[in-house]
Amino acid sequence: MNFAFSEDEQKFRTELRAFLASELPSWWRGMFVDDPRAMPFTRAFSRKLAERGWLTMAWPKEWGGAEASPWKQAILREEMWAHDEPRGPQYMNLNYIGPCILRFGSEAQKRRFLPPMAAGDVLWTQGFSEPGAGSDLAAVATRAEPSTDGFVVNGQKIWNSYADAPAEWCFLLARTSVAAKRHHGLSVLLVDMRTAGVDVRPIDSMAGPHELNEIFFEDVAVPRDCLLGEAGQGWEIVTAGLTFERVGIARYARAGRVIELLVEHAGATGLAGDSEVRSKLARLRVQYEAARLLNYRAISLQAAGRVPAVEASIARLHNTQLEQQVSDVGLEILGLAGQLTADDPAAPLTGLLHRQWVRTIPTTITAGTLEVQKNIIAERGLGLPRAR
Amino acid sequence: MDLNLSAEQTILVESARELLGRRSPLAAVRALEAAGRGFDRELWREVARLGWVGLTLPSEGGHFDLLDVALLADEMGRALFPSPFVPTVAMGAWLIDAFGDEEQRRRWLPRLATGELAVTVALAEPGARSLWDPPGLAIAGGRLSGRKLFVPFAAEADLVLVAVAGPAVVAVEREASGLVCTRHDALGGEPLYALAFESVSCEPVAAHPTALPRALDRGAVATLAYLAGACERVLEMSVAHARMREQFGRPIGSFQAIAHRCVDMRSDVDALRVLVHQAAWCLAAGEAADVAVASALAYGLEAVRRILRHAHQVHGAIGFSMEYDLQLFTRRMKAAELGWGPAALYHECVARAMGLG
Repeated sequence: MNFAFSEDEQKFRTELRAFLASELPSWWRGMFVDDPRAMPFTRAFSRKLAERGWLTMAWPKEWGGAEASPWKQAILREEMWAHDEPRGPQYMNLNYIGPCILRFGSEAQKRRFLPPMAAGDVLWTQGFSEPGAGSDLAAVATRAEPSTDGFVVNGQKIWNSYADAPAEWCFLLARTSVAAKRHHGLSVLLVDMRTAGVDVRPIDSMAGPHELNEIFFEDVAVPRDCLLGEAGQGWEIVTAGLTFERVGIARYARAGRVIELLVEHAGATGLAGDSEVRSKLARLRVQYEAARLLNYRAISLQAAGRVPAVEASIARLHNTQLEQQVSDVGLEILGLAGQLTADDPAAPLTGLLHRQWVRTIPTTITAGTLEVQKNIIAERGLGLPRAR
Repeated sequence: MDLNLSAEQTILVESARELLGRRSPLAAVRALEAAGRGFDRELWREVARLGWVGLTLPSEGGHFDLLDVALLADEMGRALFPSPFVPTVAMGAWLIDAFGDEEQRRRWLPRLATGELAVTVALAEPGARSLWDPPGLAIAGGRLSGRKLFVPFAAEADLVLVAVAGPAVVAVEREASGLVCTRHDALGGEPLYALAFESVSCEPVAAHPTALPRALDRGAVATLAYLAGACERVLEMSVAHARMREQFGRPIGSFQAIAHRCVDMRSDVDALRVLVHQAAWCLAAGEAADVAVASALAYGLEAVRRILRHAHQVHGAIGFSMEYDLQLFTRRMKAAELGWGPAALYHECVARAMGLG
């Protein structure tokens, strides 16, 4: 065991911080803000990362990656999340859409889809949830009817982030067979969002623009070469994707940054002497430490060539709850002024805590609710009977 | 960064689990308690022959550090192995080796490593809220007078390391005249004693100002590792019960209310364990360890309480019946938590270390 980063890794973090300091504009507050500059900025920023080989550094060299160690990837994620994720929606491509195509895609699909991701040139959205299929994702009813040259898709997806950004492609889970048992009738289609019959409708949300959309599919023709893997392999692909996703988000790093800012605020306002404030901030710092180390445990397994399935779910439990506790306690520490938004000049810490609080409402819901995570851990980690 | 066990550590852990499972079953733990004894000296010598007692002492052929002590303590917690491992190995051996003079090291360490010399540590004094309260006992003319409380295994130990004003540490032979040892009637079942010193002959061991706080850090981290192992076993018992016990026509583990309690236990044990490993690694590596140690204790002592509550809820009434082993774990773990608490103390340490002045 070793709980220190190597000199090389520390040097990489320093380089990244210098790069972020020079590239992030003062107005940057993350992508879910009502600022027309935000989404274009994330694309330009991702291209710059790509030029330095940092965007897809985890990927194989032949697909534009650098085969960076899992620890360098972790450092990159930490620095990005600590700075409001300036890669914008690109993190999804890197964390799981790209890796799923790498793992399940044909050579032609890899040649077609991976280079634009590696260049930071393309936006994807995820088409999983439906009005009738949330936590029970296998209930997906969107139909992809086999046709002579591919599939015809009809149905509705919901809660799709970035679809209106606009995303050019959709990683779509649809039912290609109604005869097979429900998990086995699902497939993943890579759908061009510019195809006729695709209709995106934004859903206004507390979490800000781009967070939520609906996508309607009406007789959308999807060519056969856009089926990922085999027909019927959809559940396996999505499960693998969600596992990649769980360790792919360094929520603890953003929480850690917010805690640092709260400590500075407490020092500047005299609250540092308040025993209640001290105890609450210390408690957050301890939870942060636990979440960070649990992520590192999952990464250690990856680095040893193992798949950290249950460990990743446990890390996720800690990360998502940490984020919410940081925002609850943070707002409490700011007192009355905590409710001021970034647009109010009197907002402490430029409205950071208010933003953090709104953004972390979905964290225990998206990509599998807290309860679904716990069911997974109960069954796969503890060997308990299937929960009801 | 690498949180995986090394091959050597894996062997250490596996052999410890095998030996403790075979030589120290819970029936033996209960028998010791019923007989009013703290530990089985024969078994202590046996584990010493395996190198567990001298494992951190280069002079005795040991080449391990506090992280390995924590790994062993974790396995001991799993088995609730009653032994003076924490005071003798995590604290005593280190104090003597790092601060004792040449003659003391030659006199004590070989016997300590073979299990002949069991060491305990006397810290708390009347009125103390925690083991960390600064000691007030003073030495006059090389003699010690006053009282110490909550001293583990004192009646069966051979050497008592006593925290005195300074802070400093002095050694007293257990059989020294003027030392009277009275057992507390306490929750845990592992014997704790009040020691009364009346002009007892003592010799200085460590006067460096960091010696006592660092020894406390080491004892606390080793105890927390022991607790992590005990928590792991409590979780296993809870899961086994939830799978087997049926109500409303199905195993209670299929109800999310029960399953999620088990998951919360898993999640807490895992967090506790990575925090303990980090704290032990930082102490062993001589890295800045304040945040790591205080975080582990702040999290761990509270996690133990949550885990025990969950375990009892999952078990229902059988959990607190004396015939069932959960009560044994509950009492020992609660005693260890109270012994090294309160958690609020460590939250305040974190607050200071994180820059809140």
